[in-house]
Amino acid sequence: MGSVKRKAEEDTNESRPPEKLHKEYCLLGGEEQVACVHDVSYPHGYNYPSSDSNVSRQDLKPAKEFPFKLDPFQAEAIQCLDTGESVMVSAHTSAGKTVVALYAIAMSLRNKQRVIYTSPIKALSNQKFREFKEEFSDVGLMTGDVTIEPNASCLVMTTEIWRSMQYKGSEVTREVAWIIFDEVHYMRDRERGVVWEESIVMAPKNARFVFLSATVPNAKEFADWVAKVHRQPCHIVYTDYRPTPLQHYLFPAGGKGLYLVVDEKGKFREDSFQKALNALVPASEGDRKRENGKFQKGWVVGKTGEDSDIFKMVKMIIQRQYDPVICFSFSKRECEFLAMQMARMDLNNDDEKVNTETIFWSAMDMLSDDDKKLPQVSNMLPLLKRGIGVHHSGLLPILKEVIEILFQEGLIKCLFATETFSIGLNMPAKTVVFTNVRKFDGDKFRWLSSGEYIQMSGRAGRRGIDERGICILMVDEKLEPSTAKLMVKGSADSLNSAFHLSYNMLLNQLRCEDGDPENLLRNSFYQFQADRAIPDLEKQAKVLEEERDSIRIEEEESLEDYYSLLEQYKSLKKDIHDIIFTPKYCLPFLKPGRLVAIQCTKDDQDAPSFSINDEVTWGVILNFERVKGGSGDDGNIKPEDANYTVDILTRCTVWKDEVGKKTIKIVRLKDPGEPAVISIPISQIDSLSVVCLVIPKDLLPVEARQNTLKKVSEVLSRYSKEGMPPLLDPEDDMKIQSSSYKKAVRRTEALENLFEKHDIAKSPLIEQKLMVLHKKKELTAKIKTIKRTMRTSTALAFKDELKSRRRVLRRLGYITRDNVVELKGKVACEISSADELTLTELMFSGVFKDTKVEEMVSLLSCFVWQEKLQDAQKPREELDLLFTQLQDTARRVAKVQLECKVQIDVENFVSSFRPDIMEAVYAWAKGSKFYEIMEITQVFEGSLIRAIRRLEEVLQQLIQAAKSIGETELEAKFEDAVTMIKRDIVFAASLYL
Amino acid sequence: MRGIQLSFNKTQKLRLDKALEQLEYFSSKLNSNAIVTVSDTIPVNHEDGVLKGHGTMELEGEVVATLCGVVERVNKLVYVRPFRARYKPEIGDIIVGRVIEVAPKRWRLEINFSQDAVLMLSSMNLPDGIQRRRTAVDELNMRTIFEEYDVICAEVRGFQHDGCLHLQARSQKYGKLERGQLLTISPYLVKRQKQHFHHIDQYGIDLILGCNGFIWVGEHVEVKDDMIEDQTNKSEQQNNKLSGLASHQNQEHNYTPLELRQYICRAANAVRVLSTLGFMITVDKIMDAVEMSTSKNLNIHEMLGAEFYVLVAEREAERRSSSSKKR
Repeated sequence: MGSVKRKAEEDTNESRPPEKLHKEYCLLGGEEQVACVHDVSYPHGYNYPSSDSNVSRQDLKPAKEFPFKLDPFQAEAIQCLDTGESVMVSAHTSAGKTVVALYAIAMSLRNKQRVIYTSPIKALSNQKFREFKEEFSDVGLMTGDVTIEPNASCLVMTTEIWRSMQYKGSEVTREVAWIIFDEVHYMRDRERGVVWEESIVMAPKNARFVFLSATVPNAKEFADWVAKVHRQPCHIVYTDYRPTPLQHYLFPAGGKGLYLVVDEKGKFREDSFQKALNALVPASEGDRKRENGKFQKGWVVGKTGEDSDIFKMVKMIIQRQYDPVICFSFSKRECEFLAMQMARMDLNNDDEKVNTETIFWSAMDMLSDDDKKLPQVSNMLPLLKRGIGVHHSGLLPILKEVIEILFQEGLIKCLFATETFSIGLNMPAKTVVFTNVRKFDGDKFRWLSSGEYIQMSGRAGRRGIDERGICILMVDEKLEPSTAKLMVKGSADSLNSAFHLSYNMLLNQLRCEDGDPENLLRNSFYQFQADRAIPDLEKQAKVLEEERDSIRIEEEESLEDYYSLLEQYKSLKKDIHDIIFTPKYCLPFLKPGRLVAIQCTKDDQDAPSFSINDEVTWGVILNFERVKGGSGDDGNIKPEDANYTVDILTRCTVWKDEVGKKTIKIVRLKDPGEPAVISIPISQIDSLSVVCLVIPKDLLPVEARQNTLKKVSEVLSRYSKEGMPPLLDPEDDMKIQSSSYKKAVRRTEALENLFEKHDIAKSPLIEQKLMVLHKKKELTAKIKTIKRTMRTSTALAFKDELKSRRRVLRRLGYITRDNVVELKGKVACEISSADELTLTELMFSGVFKDTKVEEMVSLLSCFVWQEKLQDAQKPREELDLLFTQLQDTARRVAKVQLECKVQIDVENFVSSFRPDIMEAVYAWAKGSKFYEIMEITQVFEGSLIRAIRRLEEVLQQLIQAAKSIGETELEAKFEDAVTMIKRDIVFAASLYL
Repeated sequence: MRGIQLSFNKTQKLRLDKALEQLEYFSSKLNSNAIVTVSDTIPVNHEDGVLKGHGTMELEGEVVATLCGVVERVNKLVYVRPFRARYKPEIGDIIVGRVIEVAPKRWRLEINFSQDAVLMLSSMNLPDGIQRRRTAVDELNMRTIFEEYDVICAEVRGFQHDGCLHLQARSQKYGKLERGQLLTISPYLVKRQKQHFHHIDQYGIDLILGCNGFIWVGEHVEVKDDMIEDQTNKSEQQNNKLSGLASHQNQEHNYTPLELRQYICRAANAVRVLSTLGFMITVDKIMDAVEMSTSKNLNIHEMLGAEFYVLVAEREAERRSSSSKKR
């Protein structure tokens, strides 16, 4: 590696004084400490510019002067811009990164160069467009929805648009000198992150970058990557600085007050943290069960007759004048629900009420009368007038914007928002409340990560207004102090690549003469990070190897011999056990009352045992039953093949952990514990005895169980001379005649002989010695896996996937054997907003040609709708028919992919197309009013609007596709479709424009 | 083979006919697609629904060809791939064209398409390599980049909203072509491939197979590597200035060695022969023909003689029969 080198300090050739390269600013301005770290990544073999060019540049007047004193990190970043070098600024949301962007724009405009500003979100682009337009005037906007002045010198766009401009070779790519990537930490987004990597890799080689990112610990790594890919120096300016310091409080559920856990100096207060946790009112057993299914609701339910926690909280905040406040929650429904609980609160005076109403209606003016009557619109106003707002992606875009404006004007005192509110434009509040510390991330509920916490808490504290920001965490579950500490005090999430391949990307790369997907892969951040991990892995392997070699064992060879014998013996024993306990043989003997030996639960699962006999205890069989398979087609499984569990009465210790999960441990009969019935899989039974006991019918009372166990002990003591009760003989009693069984038995006997003869068996410390040997073996295995990872990461990442994806494209006729893009491939090239393969296949199968325009639009809606609705009704027959066609096509595409060894779950892929909004979109295309279609579906207004807007994007791409195959009728049809859906509130212009 | 206007002697004629017959035998096996002329009905299954692509239209309920060519089908899409037509551009094609007009902010190029192509000033990298907006001065200096009758190589960018065909020059390897020959052949003889730029190392020549049927054979030009930063270039230039090497290098550049010129001519003649015989043009075939001419000690002008035509045809027939045997 070492392709990127930090300039060595003793390097005499360099132009600048060495101490400038890595320095920390510690200016003590007033009482707060403002620090920033500046570092530079140089590409390998970089020629440092001669010093005179530097001087001439410094003579220039600054491109833009700011009316306030710049913070050190801003000044530092701007200095980098002045020398014409790329810079990555990593700072908190509120720190003022925009200043750097503004300077870069001003500089480019001065030099008559183009500058591009990209952001991850359309709404953010709109807002930035307005901000820049006021400042510079020569500004244009390009998003999927709108295009304004595409020839302006400064272009604001979404990153996706910038990527497609680069693929199309727009002239902008030859005129752009500076590219500003805002919120570049979006690169770790699972779905969209790859767009940033593509855009950065493909960016024109002479362009310079400004990366604005939230605090990331590995900013240096990112800069190294940029320096390597673009062969230019890239500066890093990093600061942890917050203009307003934060205080973090805990609010325990059902508790009375706030507990300061982190003060403004960043100190964690252990004692008050403990107090807070102790104050947590433990939910009673009954409550637990009720809530088990829906943890989320814990907050909102509250106790009947009492104020809910959130209400108390907001009341307290208002009383203490901590407003305005943003309450973050992690679902749209919860957001609205919480807001509804504030119904009794009024936070605005009469003047403010009038103001709110004026602003509201002047914004709503652009809507038609019908749309003004939408329930969401009419329900919102009363809430807003009382100073309470809701902000989430389910709102109508226009409402969202009105609320943002009202919030900025200070007319909303309490805003309930989802995570989306935490990125983008500067909209701080004095206080931020987290209504939950767990978040659903698509698969499961998990603790909030410290990075997310940092991002959202960044909204607390208004610069120049508040002395400090306040962050309140509402906790309702016992969370470990360590978890909480990690969340509140942890470092930011690091910036990791989320690179993945897509067919559209492949085709676009293949279409260019010098485009080569492999090149893109080689230059990706993913590959860079993988390469970088190698030295680390090497080190790990070395350490482990040393450790392994340091372990010395006497008589190692014979010990090893013994060890392998033992292993063999164990596996044979297990084989025999498995044969005996196949349901076919043992089911007839699982009679209630039979005495069985079962394995005790081991204290430590990992510790291997080296004695020949496992520890066993005895119990009584009560019952057995078949385990229900998940697939539901139990009827087909023969009784022999099914899984069974056996209920057994034995002595156990039972305790509960914090979460309330019961843990049961089987112990020996003599040990203390309670008699309990447990159900275990058959395989856990060690052996079956011939003895059967008579068991009482009702085992519910403890005494009955106690007595039964006593009987068991009696039986055992009766046989104590033989050591254990006689067992069922596998051959005579259980009639096991299989040859594999006999063979196994013979071999164990032979092995047992060997054991006795083995000289080392008599050695006194055999157990310990074997333990050490085992450890050594484990280390060897670990080293092996590390070496394997190293091998895979030296190879090109995604190489295999690239190969199989190419195979898919060839199979489906998108590219030829020599990787030349064919007609179908050219169509798929155009489609970037929906699944390109399925849509192209659908198009070539003539489905769009046969259907009516409305039906076609409705069918396309399945491509853009991703939310899952639980109780969505099935669409009408003709639409359902189309949907089936779509599913068939999708299944075919998925199957081809599977055959070509692309990792894909066919049914999952097929069901990723959702028919839920087909009816609504059909009605919309037919010309229904928006309130009418809202009555058809239960989806959020905002979600539907977003889907229809995206649908329009897909249609535009399809128009291009139809053009390229020369099918004019289809092209006209798509154009008709666009005019049919592009109207009214769905495409109402943003208030920011 | 209408294009061949040469006097063959009897044996040559016999040999050529035999070779061509053999070739026809192989090609007829490969090509069983329906051939249509204008107004021919293309049989389709209407119940399934058809997508009508280029070269087709619907007339009285029937799909009719509007071009003379081969019917191609991709799933439900039906289109006609024309014979011997003018070039039909597709996005991403590499083409060679000739400047016919310098217009405001753009050059107009003849590329054998039904209309002239447009190369915008902004679609070109500026000679100074700086990313910036184009100024009026740049516009005035357009002739220093390309002037009329210059031969240029570029990539098809696509049709703009005004219906014009726009070209672009993405990187340094596109641009003016000098010291070589331009050959124009039928576009159908050039198959779209992954690579259209070829550097023949052993002869030191460049071959550019434009998709529009314009073929460039010229002296090899070293393209600056995309990844190498201009900074290094700058310092190189500075070094050059210092040592006064620049002028010397320029002199060297104005002179193409005789040997190289001969190779260029040989390659060009190979293209001429192959295209007249109606063979697809690929680098391998061109190089094969060049090698054959040198191994048979033929002069450059002799490559256009009847004997060489026959040899090339025979060689091609042999190649195809061996490849079909392999299958």
